[in-house]
Amino acid sequence: MSDTEIANPPATPETTGTTPVTARRSTAARVAPLIGWAVLLLVLFLTPVYVPGEWLSVLCWIMAGGVAAMGLTMLIGQAGQFSLGQAFFLLLGGVTYTVLAADGDAEYIGFGLPPLVALIGTIIISGLAGAAFAPISGRLRGIYLGVASLSLVFLGYYLSHELPMLAGSASSGRYAPTFSVPGFDFGETNPQLLLLNVPMGAAERQFWLFAGLTVIAYLVGQGAMKGRVGRGWRAVRDNEAVATVMGVSVPGEKAKAFAISSAYGGLAGVMVVWWYSGLMKPDEAVELGTYSTYTTIALLAMCVIGGLGSLGGAIAGSALVFGLPLALPLLTGSNQTVDASGTAFTPIVITNLVFGILIVLIVLFEPRGLAGLGTRLRNLIRR
Amino acid sequence: MSTDTRNVQPLRVEGVTVRFGGIVAVNDVSFTVQPRTIHALIGPNGAGKSSCFNAITGIYTPASGQVRLGETVLTGTPPHKIARQGIGRAFQNLALIGTSSVLDNVMLGRYSLTKGQFMAYGMRLPWTMRQERAHQDRAAEICDYMGLSHRLHTPAGALSYGEQKRVDLARALCVEPTVLMLDEPAAGMNSSETAMMAALIHDLRDDLGISVLLVEHDMSLVMGIADRITVLDFGRRIADDVPAVIQRDPEVIKAYLGGAPDESGESAEAAAISSEETSA
Ligand SMILES: Nc1ncnc2c1ncn2[C@@H]1O[C@H](COP(=O)(O)OP(=O)(O)O)[C@@H](O)[C@H]1O
Ligand SMILES: [Mg+2]
Repeated sequence: MSDTEIANPPATPETTGTTPVTARRSTAARVAPLIGWAVLLLVLFLTPVYVPGEWLSVLCWIMAGGVAAMGLTMLIGQAGQFSLGQAFFLLLGGVTYTVLAADGDAEYIGFGLPPLVALIGTIIISGLAGAAFAPISGRLRGIYLGVASLSLVFLGYYLSHELPMLAGSASSGRYAPTFSVPGFDFGETNPQLLLLNVPMGAAERQFWLFAGLTVIAYLVGQGAMKGRVGRGWRAVRDNEAVATVMGVSVPGEKAKAFAISSAYGGLAGVMVVWWYSGLMKPDEAVELGTYSTYTTIALLAMCVIGGLGSLGGAIAGSALVFGLPLALPLLTGSNQTVDASGTAFTPIVITNLVFGILIVLIVLFEPRGLAGLGTRLRNLIRR
Repeated sequence: MSTDTRNVQPLRVEGVTVRFGGIVAVNDVSFTVQPRTIHALIGPNGAGKSSCFNAITGIYTPASGQVRLGETVLTGTPPHKIARQGIGRAFQNLALIGTSSVLDNVMLGRYSLTKGQFMAYGMRLPWTMRQERAHQDRAAEICDYMGLSHRLHTPAGALSYGEQKRVDLARALCVEPTVLMLDEPAAGMNSSETAMMAALIHDLRDDLGISVLLVEHDMSLVMGIADRITVLDFGRRIADDVPAVIQRDPEVIKAYLGGAPDESGESAEAAAISSEETSA
């Protein structure tokens, strides 16, 4: 480090020069988040004890959407690359995991790998697929890139139609193995494990699994965005010339941002097949369904509502966009998510109205989204 | 080890031409920034000064000619690797990330001096975090030098214009450059701020022992601190000499005053240039 030191820099008029120069925050400012995390982890650990199974399922669905949206919000909000292709990576992740983890038979291709290996393999393969999009993503910008990436959703629909031995035969879907590590099966339906006298069955275990993955995805993304990687991406987003002059390889970082976003999409895709216990009819329709243009836009909506670039915001956005349609029927006591009559305010219609209105309000009043509102609240409390 | 032992090499611009379609923005321009000198690049608006900067930093690829730092040929090197060679640059328009903190903005200057990809930062690997802290301390030290230490955690966009200019400069210094390139550092500043900026640039050169290549419209600043001046007009080099000679060069006066020679020199030029500035 000795060659990077200024010898006795003379004080400029504004320099205070009394305290030693350091960028570090106070001990209190560093310890407080740790306590917060400890409390959050304890709450997440105990949630399955107190929250009924159908609500755990809602929370899991929110987390699956949240992970996909975290990848997308880093890509759009931090690296400045528009994408409407995230539903494709959801599908790619789901299919890849299913193929890697499921056993092959006469109808389906499968490798029967241990679920942990399949999970990690899926994340890597999804990331590589995102990187393979680099020749396109590096050349296009803004809405053109959005449209080009949207074509991936159509490609996914087409491929899953053409390759039923991978994605499941027409409109039936395909079973995917639940997660397990040696000694702990997250799909256990007949549990011996009791926590505070509550049996921890499949729903409870799935919550733990999803919460764990979401927390890891959040922490990893947050660490990267706070550090050198995020700084490079933000520079690429705001001014490519500045980024280049400061040593950032603009095409390289764009490709990496796409790869990371896709890897998050792939992980979320695995969570989705766990949630459904399989691939849900990827070849049913391109505009509605689990891997449709509708989902891709819903994921974008989560990012905008949460505040582009904010990882916490992405989860909050998912709570609204993915959570509301499932939560409303539970709250009102009806158990339909789709009303056959088509005229009533079904949960889906209400959700669409809510997130439509929210997007308009956010664009008008708080472009930083829910994350921006959170910052404002925190500043109010500090004062 | 103090930084006056930084190995400062001459920066040579050799017959560089930059074209945009039919426009020749820089036309066969040559000059040399000698080690530890303040070298000014001046000329009317559109003369090709910023294009010349962009050719040096690899943002534009010259149609012909090359740029060398010592024996290293910069032209043709991948542009993002030029910072690593010791070229730091501050920008003409404020090019900060307004929503990011001052420290975060300045830390971008450490990008090429640091390592670590997504997972290394994501998992907060101990050596990655140690590196991050060491470089943050160095960045904070540079901010302190620039009088920004009380602003480290403030969003850059919330700072005054003058402070933002200093953040931009601090970011360029964070590259640990041997050649510091400043594109109009005093643009938009009043005369006392300009004088302070001049003093700062002068101190920087003396304290760090680095070369400074300076584009500036403010003649009083340029004449006061430059060791040598290169004058561009319509992309061509029309003069290259010490300030005292440049001030009396008829072609330079003609370029600045649009053909009306004026013996009062310096102040008239400054007036002409500041009126240009407002129209820019
Ligand atoms: N990216 C570009 N595309 C087309 N023309 C450009 C570009 N950059 C600069 N120019 C042109 O090159 C000439 C020199 O511009 P510039 O280098 O910005 O001048 P200066 O910095 O001296 O005011 C101008 O005529 C300008 O219009
Ligand atoms: Mg210019």
